[in-house]
Amino acid sequence: MPLSVSLSIEGDTTVIELSGELDAKTAPDFHRTIEKAAGHGTTIVEIRMAGVGYMASAGLRSLVFAQQKIADHVTIKVVGAIEPVSRTIRTAGLDRSIVLSDE
Amino acid sequence: MVELARTPSVLEVPATVQALGDIAAFVLRLAGRAGLGKRAAYRLRLAVDELATNVVMHGYRGGDGRITVRGRSGPGGVQITIEDSAPAFDPVAGRLPPCPGVPPQDRRIGGLGIHLALTSVDEFAYAHRDGRNISTLTVKAEGTDPCPPRP
Repeated sequence: MPLSVSLSIEGDTTVIELSGELDAKTAPDFHRTIEKAAGHGTTIVEIRMAGVGYMASAGLRSLVFAQQKIADHVTIKVVGAIEPVSRTIRTAGLDRSIVLSDE
Repeated sequence: MVELARTPSVLEVPATVQALGDIAAFVLRLAGRAGLGKRAAYRLRLAVDELATNVVMHGYRGGDGRITVRGRSGPGGVQITIEDSAPAFDPVAGRLPPCPGVPPQDRRIGGLGIHLALTSVDEFAYAHRDGRNISTLTVKAEGTDPCPPRP
């Protein structure tokens, strides 16, 4: 299943909305969007993942990349991830530096 | 002990990123046949996807190769065998657990896939025979394993 990625700015938040499946084949699209988001200069980057039905470690690599690419003072939020996806994020320990939120 | 069909279903694909979708569809069909719940089916797909992705990206190092996936399903779960002829690689020995204490800027990117795979399955075994890597993994139907894996 393909991945759909959109990027927008809402006030001081850069919003990345993902829908579909995030795996080795589709993660490069997410990666490119993170690079664009890093240049926006907002204080929050919110990654909306409610529409992501599957995420492999390639998605985790993208989230680590986001942490490295986006400035330290910018908060990265992952919003609405389904339980298996948020479990994968926690398994990697990324919930210590990324804000995981249900809504 | 999971009760499984005697004859496995077999899928052989080129070791490419594009073929990973075919492997996922094959695995999900077996999960459906076994009546696995959503969580168990997700764990099975994730484990096979990660191991197969590792073979594509690192095993054959971008060169030509093939991956054979055999699957047997039964009322209690699914057993999958992944075979390739890339250089010998034991996933258990090559596992890289996450390091939550490492600051984001110092984290290595990658290395987590095998850890995810091994923590997603109920049983795992590796063998190297006749020049082939053979990984066998089992995911049981939820509620049948007294010690399910912990994230």
